[in-house]
Amino acid sequence: MKYADMAVPSRALHLWRYTPWARIHPSKIDEVPNATGVRFKVVEGGELVEGAPRIVIAEDIGRVFLSELGGTAMTFESNGDSEVVHLQAVASGHVAVGHLHLALKHDVAVMLHLSGEADWTGLHITGEVGANVRAGFGLVNELASNGKLLHCEDWSIARDANLELAGLSIGGFRCKSDIRSRFTGSGAALTQAISVHGAGQRHVDHHIEIHHDVPHTDSSLNIHAACDDQSHSIATGLLTIAEQANHCDAGQVFKNLLLSEKARAEAIPELEVLADEVAAAHGAASAPVDRDQLHYLMSRGLDTEAAVALLIEGFMQAGFSTLQHQALVDEMRTRLTVHLECELKR
Amino acid sequence: MRMTEEILRVEDLHVSVDETPILNGMNLTIHRGEIHVIMGRNGAGKSTLASVIMGHPAYEITKGTIHYMGTNINEMSVFERARAGMFLSFQYPAVIPGVQVGTFLKKSVQSVRDEPLKGREFRKELNGAMKALEMEKSVLSRYVNDGFSGGEKKRLEILQMLLLKPTLALLDETDSGLDIDALRIVAKGINSVAPEAGCLIITHYQRLLDHVQPHFVHVMIDGAIVQSGGPELAHKLEEQGYEWLETPKEA
Repeated sequence: MKYADMAVPSRALHLWRYTPWARIHPSKIDEVPNATGVRFKVVEGGELVEGAPRIVIAEDIGRVFLSELGGTAMTFESNGDSEVVHLQAVASGHVAVGHLHLALKHDVAVMLHLSGEADWTGLHITGEVGANVRAGFGLVNELASNGKLLHCEDWSIARDANLELAGLSIGGFRCKSDIRSRFTGSGAALTQAISVHGAGQRHVDHHIEIHHDVPHTDSSLNIHAACDDQSHSIATGLLTIAEQANHCDAGQVFKNLLLSEKARAEAIPELEVLADEVAAAHGAASAPVDRDQLHYLMSRGLDTEAAVALLIEGFMQAGFSTLQHQALVDEMRTRLTVHLECELKR
Repeated sequence: MRMTEEILRVEDLHVSVDETPILNGMNLTIHRGEIHVIMGRNGAGKSTLASVIMGHPAYEITKGTIHYMGTNINEMSVFERARAGMFLSFQYPAVIPGVQVGTFLKKSVQSVRDEPLKGREFRKELNGAMKALEMEKSVLSRYVNDGFSGGEKKRLEILQMLLLKPTLALLDETDSGLDIDALRIVAKGINSVAPEAGCLIITHYQRLLDHVQPHFVHVMIDGAIVQSGGPELAHKLEEQGYEWLETPKEA
């Protein structure tokens, strides 16, 4: 289906309730504007080649729109030489769009740093994790603070593979992320961890879908959002376990730390479980800074500002505590620490 | 006449929480080098006393004063008290997920000491203190008190005390839940700080006092000290309980 033929999605759907299509579209809603390409670059390890397979979910307006905008398309294919790969994506101009395809056939961790001054950035990442591969992918969104971002990811995880997905959202003014993963073979596992820092009037919307279509697959999703000022974080999750997919173990935990009276956070996990022999759980919590934790730190000499800053950092770092891939964890933690050092001016 | 320096003077202290009186005319003076022990039943106000001396904002001083090093600290904030050399070993230390012990210790020591922290010297000091407390180095990369056993939490409290070198150490049931070996190690930590500080130990048990020799033992009932004595008082309490100290209620 073409974008022009698609209806504007209803706000009754979780996916579009908090960030309606009109608010994330770069121009007039019926337009497909001209776009420049996001510049992808290898910083360390591996090689990028031009072109990427177009994997478009025909019924999703975001993916169809990104596809019609065009822009740059690149593929990274692991070759077993590098265990850690650092990629950079830079968005500039009015509308910048890029599609990156990751073919992960060896044990590898790929880090992508998204930055730039574009008014609007579209980023579509598609990934395939090969059988029995232990892979990690981390996205650090460091876009300029006035930019909008529409970001989609689609992952397929093969038999006995283990994928860890990490996301650190610290850039952009209005960001919409829609990340979907699907198990294609049994014995596979997905661990997904996202930390969000909201400041000013930042609006960050994450929609995460994990589909267990086959038995004996495990997934865990952790989202931690620390919201200050008038920022707004939204996390909606859709976890499906198909009828034949017995012996799956899946869990979703959404936690929000509210740092001001005007900060808002929504956490909406959703389960659709059709199989009988499964373990599926979800939880959500939103709370201000814990008074006991604050008192404890202050009793060790930290003033209020330093104690709160350390608690924010700890809360966001804890979002990554389920990840096992050390390179991925180290990268996320380092980037987060640097960001908070600047942001909180400690 | 006592010649040593006065560290803490609590005078006629009345404290309430949510308008419920907890401390009712508490008096206590601690000099440098002295170890005071407070014993008493649950609910007597022992932990409240430690918390209010440390400046917990939940407690309201309705009457009386707390002087530390000759200065009235009733209005001083908790972090200022810490920087002035006061330390509380918590009965139930807070769990702080995501904050590594190593990072926390460095920030804490940096906040309390006036001079900038030199990395190599701090590491040497930290290693020495951890060795003395028989702690594994791996604890430094764990999150503060997250998943710690009771004994590990208490050792971490004592480690902080050794690094912060307080002038006044308040130890709130630091011995609770410790096995014999852990108790010996914790006592070693207390004894290393005590000669240069004033120490207030809150405990339910005499067994800690086999390893730490107190100068004074006080008994608290209903928010005030009702009896003071030497170490022999702790033995008497262990044998006879608190009933003999209670005022008979009118029929």
